[in-house]
Amino acid sequence: MISAIYEFALTTGANRVVRGSRIEHVCGDPGLGPEKDYAYGMRIVTTALDALTTAVSGPTLFDPVHGASTAELARV
Amino acid sequence: MSERAGMRLTLGTFPVTSIVFGARTSYDGGRLTVDKTAALAAVREDARIVEADLEIATPGESVRIWPVRDVIEPRVKIDGPGVCYPGMCGRDITTVGRGRTHRLAGMGVVEVSSVNWHDSGGDFVETYLDMSGHYGEMYPYAKLQLLCLVVEPDRELGDEARNDAVHKAALAVSDHVAAATRELSPPSTEVFELGAVDPSLPRVVYIWGVHSPQAMSGSPTAFGTATYGLTRLTPAWLLHPNEILDGALTGPYRTAFAMSWTVANNPLLMDLYRRHGRDWNFLGVIALRTEWTTQHEKQLIANQTAKLAAMLGADGAVVTWDAGGNEFIEVIRTIRECEGLGIKTVFLTSEDDATDGAPTMLEPLPEADAIVSTSFFRNRTLGVAPVPPVARVIGLPTKAMNDDLRAGVGAGYERLVPVSGTLPPPWRYDDHYGFNSLSCIE
Repeated sequence: MISAIYEFALTTGANRVVRGSRIEHVCGDPGLGPEKDYAYGMRIVTTALDALTTAVSGPTLFDPVHGASTAELARV
Repeated sequence: MSERAGMRLTLGTFPVTSIVFGARTSYDGGRLTVDKTAALAAVREDARIVEADLEIATPGESVRIWPVRDVIEPRVKIDGPGVCYPGMCGRDITTVGRGRTHRLAGMGVVEVSSVNWHDSGGDFVETYLDMSGHYGEMYPYAKLQLLCLVVEPDRELGDEARNDAVHKAALAVSDHVAAATRELSPPSTEVFELGAVDPSLPRVVYIWGVHSPQAMSGSPTAFGTATYGLTRLTPAWLLHPNEILDGALTGPYRTAFAMSWTVANNPLLMDLYRRHGRDWNFLGVIALRTEWTTQHEKQLIANQTAKLAAMLGADGAVVTWDAGGNEFIEVIRTIRECEGLGIKTVFLTSEDDATDGAPTMLEPLPEADAIVSTSFFRNRTLGVAPVPPVARVIGLPTKAMNDDLRAGVGAGYERLVPVSGTLPPPWRYDDHYGFNSLSCIE
């Protein structure tokens, strides 16, 4: 599950949770401009695909930007 | 709490038992006479208004009002700084809560208009009110004398301006009738202040979640319960309850139980206040703005709201909210953070649909272990029967409806049905502040 409210997804039992951007735009950020928005979206989607092939033992967070509060800070 | 801000408010109550149209707007022994021409002239001072009319609806009458954007209790500042309903539609933002205020109790000014909140996110106007029958009885409004302003602004204006124009118009009517009490002595008065109390009493704060339309619509001010006119996503506000009695927390809203009248008459707030010094030490209200849109933001606002409650020295908090959906996250996490800081919480909320086996709380965190339910959120779950035909309609003759029986004035609901006929109740029924007397058997 790709979710902007990822902790909620985890507490309610989703096994593979990918940290999304915002409720308004879960898989990207139009504020980054077209190129960075596309790169950020691709990062989220490839993280989700990687998550699908990763074994987990319980609700697990996959973070495309590794803890950064915005994609801009993560240089995607 | 000491009263360093001098927050002492005398609230004078003028009960209204009938409304009639007449030559001069006046109040006499429960009878409110309204000079329709003068009231509509006040509305038409705003050149954005192109149509306006007034109609009266009385309890028990076979009448339906549609579309209802707001119901306002007329209040006017008689003595002391500022104006009632401050900050709304460009009004004075002077801090209110002191001096003397008059209210016309037992009545409401109804804002009736086709103006939708905006055209995204499903936030369409969907409330209609009946003055009789089982559906009418589910709301406090069917017990009120209602003065209905049917109003339309210039269609060429944008959403924000149209919202502002029709609410300003409803406030103009509210101001016009409330002013009739200006020179009169109120039949009853009540003095409100947070005076010094026995220090051994438990210290209680009211954390009041109010939805922000900003994320879904971009609107900074036009609709939703506002603080001094602002509905933006802002950090928690500390409000003196007197500010709320003067209308600092108010606005039109999509759910019937969060309209201006219900906010002004919130029974939970009034009970917390009236029992100050007897059963507890009421510290005030923290208005928690909701519908933040990332996990970080939701958690941050929860952390900071709980911190503010702790800095006030709260032993306990009662928590309400006025929305449905993702706003629940910051509300429930505020409860968790309060509990973590040793502040006991009680949560007053409606419940979500559990017919498919889902929990009735979106995120049922274990820290929220003291919950008062005001029934189910969805009229379908609640089993509310179809609403029978009425003899008269105030407002628009038709409403749009989709196959799911959700009905509104919003885009995408193209099937028009006559408002006077049998209708499904609006899909949601969320009593945010504990008005209703519904009961159930488990």
